[in-house]
Amino acid sequence: MTSTETTSTAHTSVLVAAVGDIAEGEALQVPAERTGHHDTISVFHDDGTYYALDDTCSHGQASLADGWIENGEVECPLHSARFCLRSGEPQCMPATLAARTHRVEVVAGEIWLHPGQEPTS
Amino acid sequence: MTRIAMVGAGLSAVSACDALRGGGYDGEIVLLSDEAGPPYDRPPLSKDVLTGSAATRGDIALRPADWYEKQRVELRPGIAVTALRPDEGVLELADGSELTADRIVLATGGTARTLPVPGADDPAVHTLRTWAEAERLRARLVPGARIAVIGAGLIGAETAAVATALGCAVTLIDPVPVPLTAVVGPDIAGALHARHRAEGIDVITGGVERIDRAPGTEEVTVTVGGRPEPVAADTVVVGIGIRPATALAEAAGLTVDNGIVVDVAQRTSHPRVYAVGDVARRSGDPVRHEHWDAARSSGQAAAAGLLGAAPPARSASWFWSDRYGSRLEGVGSMADAEETVVRGDVASGAFTVFGLRASVLIAAAAIDRPKDIKAAQRLIARAVPVRADRLTDPATELRALLRG
Repeated sequence: MTSTETTSTAHTSVLVAAVGDIAEGEALQVPAERTGHHDTISVFHDDGTYYALDDTCSHGQASLADGWIENGEVECPLHSARFCLRSGEPQCMPATLAARTHRVEVVAGEIWLHPGQEPTS
Repeated sequence: MTRIAMVGAGLSAVSACDALRGGGYDGEIVLLSDEAGPPYDRPPLSKDVLTGSAATRGDIALRPADWYEKQRVELRPGIAVTALRPDEGVLELADGSELTADRIVLATGGTARTLPVPGADDPAVHTLRTWAEAERLRARLVPGARIAVIGAGLIGAETAAVATALGCAVTLIDPVPVPLTAVVGPDIAGALHARHRAEGIDVITGGVERIDRAPGTEEVTVTVGGRPEPVAADTVVVGIGIRPATALAEAAGLTVDNGIVVDVAQRTSHPRVYAVGDVARRSGDPVRHEHWDAARSSGQAAAAGLLGAAPPARSASWFWSDRYGSRLEGVGSMADAEETVVRGDVASGAFTVFGLRASVLIAAAAIDRPKDIKAAQRLIARAVPVRADRLTDPATELRALLRG
């Protein structure tokens, strides 16, 4: 898989994968150098829908890409804080801060990430 | 119901506050703590606080400082509750005042157990349960210091690992040859315990008989049964569990039996009083689950009970422990398993043990395999029938087993 970065839109768009590359319940990390964002961004596949959040848990130092993805949430691998994939809002202790969300778009079988853009719901 | 008072401000109480507001409770919440300062998270006390990477109370705060005001939780730190009069809903406070509440939640936790041997009260002997205790111990963990850790369970093992990493010369003493075997099974317990020796710790099996200090010296000696030479140390750390802080409940006439006895909604024997966290024991459970996750969920269960809602589904007991950069996790009750199987390579140090009973998963323990544990929690909760050979087959996606 090759990566393509364009600057044709207001925000940089990053081609992260083709549909099928990220298995259901899995996530793919997009490193900061590809997005210009301060954190790695992870793209999560839950039940046919893709979501993107900052990868570092807002509570500890864990990677949310290693978490458990189910029912519209990701559960942190370290201390089991759960975040809503759509809003980034923490759903339980120990997290107190929301995870930053980013817009993901599927175009012609390709999964595009729009770092810094709010998701459209 | 216009006022709920919580006695104790650890995770279980804060979790209850959180769930009460989340559940729409609009009345007053008063959070009383006999410790100074805002509520903090305890797991880092034996890890980041000892290493110094969490240097201030704020670094391990359970909630941001402005959360309490935003959530209208009246935080009253540094004040002890001296008595409870449940029929009247009255708490007597150490400053002579009284606080009346419609419901009272006891979240008094526990205190570190001390050794019942001569010399256990020497100032060189430390325990680790509170921020103040962790701060005092941290100052002792300097390079070259001789640290004797008594008890090789979770707190003792973590403390020994941190002390070694900080350059201390550590002796780890436990009467059990391989601690935690009943909790996580022999494979994982053996690998964990062997790691201490591999990291240069002097591991001793035996019971401590006494602690002595030669007059006018800084050094103490720990006498271990069956060993002619005592262990010389600058600092002793005792990690042998906690004693539940039940005095208030007992004096108030609540049912106490290895903890304050509660029902599924964390209700005590008095309808006005609930109990959560380490101090509470569910009626029917043989043990108190003295773990972080149990504290969090007990707070949620109490909130549901207070609001008259159905209690949340109860999940299998889950804990974690960090040492030497590795993570141990356990879920369920391994001691009740009829059959145990291993997933992953034991020699690699990262593997999972699953415990089955009557063709369903009832327990799992793992070193550095968090996703196996996440899957196990769900397999246990949903009681999906599973075959042992599918659990051990590396080609099996555990997530797929959840679909039955």
